[in-house]
Amino acid sequence: MPSMPEVADSPARFSLATEGACLRISLAGDWTKDGPLPDFPQLRDGSEVRWSVEELGKVDSALPAWIQGLERAAPPGVSFRHEGLPPRIRGWVLLASADAESDGGEESLPWIARLGLWATLSKASWLRAVSHIGELALGLARLLVGRAKVNWQEFPQLLRTTGPDALPITLLLGFLTGVIMAYVGMIQLGKVGANIYVANLVGLAMAREMGALMTGVVACGRTSTAFASHLGSMNVSQETDALRAIGLRPVEYLGVPRLLAVLAVLPLLSVFATAAGILGGMAVAVGYGMSAEQYANQVIEAVSVRSFLTGLIKAHAFALIVAWAGCYRGHVARRNARGVGEAATTAAVLGITLLVVADAAFAVLFNLFAFY
Amino acid sequence: MPEPRVRCSDLAVGHDGREVVGGVSFAVEPGQVVAVVGPSGCGKSTLMRALAGLDPAMAGDSWILGERLGGLDEAGHDALLRRVGFMFQGSALWSSLTLAENVELPLREFARCGARERRLLALHKLGQVGLLGAADKHPAEISGGMAKRAGLARALALDPEVLFLDEPSAGLDPVTSARLDDLILRLRDGLGTSIVLVSHEVPSIRRLADFCVYLDPVSRTMAATGKIDDFLRPDAHPGARDFFSRHAQP
Repeated sequence: MPSMPEVADSPARFSLATEGACLRISLAGDWTKDGPLPDFPQLRDGSEVRWSVEELGKVDSALPAWIQGLERAAPPGVSFRHEGLPPRIRGWVLLASADAESDGGEESLPWIARLGLWATLSKASWLRAVSHIGELALGLARLLVGRAKVNWQEFPQLLRTTGPDALPITLLLGFLTGVIMAYVGMIQLGKVGANIYVANLVGLAMAREMGALMTGVVACGRTSTAFASHLGSMNVSQETDALRAIGLRPVEYLGVPRLLAVLAVLPLLSVFATAAGILGGMAVAVGYGMSAEQYANQVIEAVSVRSFLTGLIKAHAFALIVAWAGCYRGHVARRNARGVGEAATTAAVLGITLLVVADAAFAVLFNLFAFY
Repeated sequence: MPEPRVRCSDLAVGHDGREVVGGVSFAVEPGQVVAVVGPSGCGKSTLMRALAGLDPAMAGDSWILGERLGGLDEAGHDALLRRVGFMFQGSALWSSLTLAENVELPLREFARCGARERRLLALHKLGQVGLLGAADKHPAEISGGMAKRAGLARALALDPEVLFLDEPSAGLDPVTSARLDDLILRLRDGLGTSIVLVSHEVPSIRRLADFCVYLDPVSRTMAATGKIDDFLRPDAHPGARDFFSRHAQP
């Protein structure tokens, strides 16, 4: 019965003898994959290497691999005469040397060239992102004039997966966000006896900021990654090429329905998250002795229509970001399994980064235009 | 006379409880190349997977290196698989690893050598298939022909005594295909490996195979064995004659 490889009985070793310009390497012991191989000897430029194998024990492809490694490490003036090797080993060495025209070798670039290459690739990457946004916008414009070819078949499923399927986790995170903010508010506001304003704090923060932001983050983790991996897989299996081959624009055909689905449901999810957050704050406030009615009255007083609209505007913008990040990373995914994984990861990172950047930009803009 | 490296007797293979081909019996001697041929859907790849021990047979017996596949426990079966190389039709390279790492993985799992030795062996195997310069590239960065050769280098990692090649030339241009044929012949001559290959490419089969096993999709059996010229005779199996005569060269 076959068994695990045996450990080499006698370790691989060699000795060197100089005979004029010739260096004789006498191999001894077992040269197998199951034991360590000795370090390469230092070879003098211009020497001719010959082999002796009288004390050679068990051998497998470890020996030709070591000989090849020695050939690669040797100075260019060293020549090798393999006649002294057993015929089988010589055959293996020559077989590996026969394809000297090896494909795919690349010289390493100097740092300045690498910097230039990085700059060029970065520019190309930015251009690709802008071009994708343009294609998506063009697709929407063509849709408005009734000329877009869009995959409506998957639209109901997209609505369901981006909306109702995401509702439980969105509600949970919204509720917990409200709880956390209420606790923090209770600690600080309690110091000045202004516990009642916890309702204002939670209501305003959820309506203006946290409802939309938390929903956006959840959507980046669920929806953007799902879009990126799905579209990336379609790249791998050449499905997007097949769409192109029959005259469809993959960004329009696949991207527009995703964008519209997220745009339709994310603001709604944001409203639910806001409500859940306010309820979370209420649970804490009631625990601290405030009545539910008091809390509700404070929230109604604090949250103006403008504040609510601010959250909704942000939610729409976040929806565009979530959908675009997923579609973009999916469309430019490399055509292999690793590329699909990278697309999903980078979609989430890109989406969340852009959400925070956009939220900061909104804060500045709303402040500039006194929209609060 | 040396023992055959691969042998099967009245073997039947299939999937999902359905027999695809049965009554298969032949033997592969050391250093011999045998081609399993037949039209699409006749069960070539299914048969080869069963012969290599990747899938169980439905009936009959098969032996690799003298070991009966049905008579081995799991550990023995795994140990036997380490003495066999399998090159998949789609190369099946692990995309997250470089070519050298692809070759190193079987060594890391089944040989007791260190990282330096593994690297040397991986470069040696890639050198044997002419890919030394692409050792640190990922599968996505190389052409289909290079991927096939890298798949072959990985199949050679543990110095297999038997090599199973599933459609080695499929999807390759004639020049790349001919280069791969040369390489397979050099491997056979240099390493003395026995090779079982599945192929549709008659010019390639003509160059490589010592004899062919023809599977008939109508009768779902091994309809004939022999050299290509045997299949071109008037009294040969009509399906086999038709299969080979479309590509036959005098």
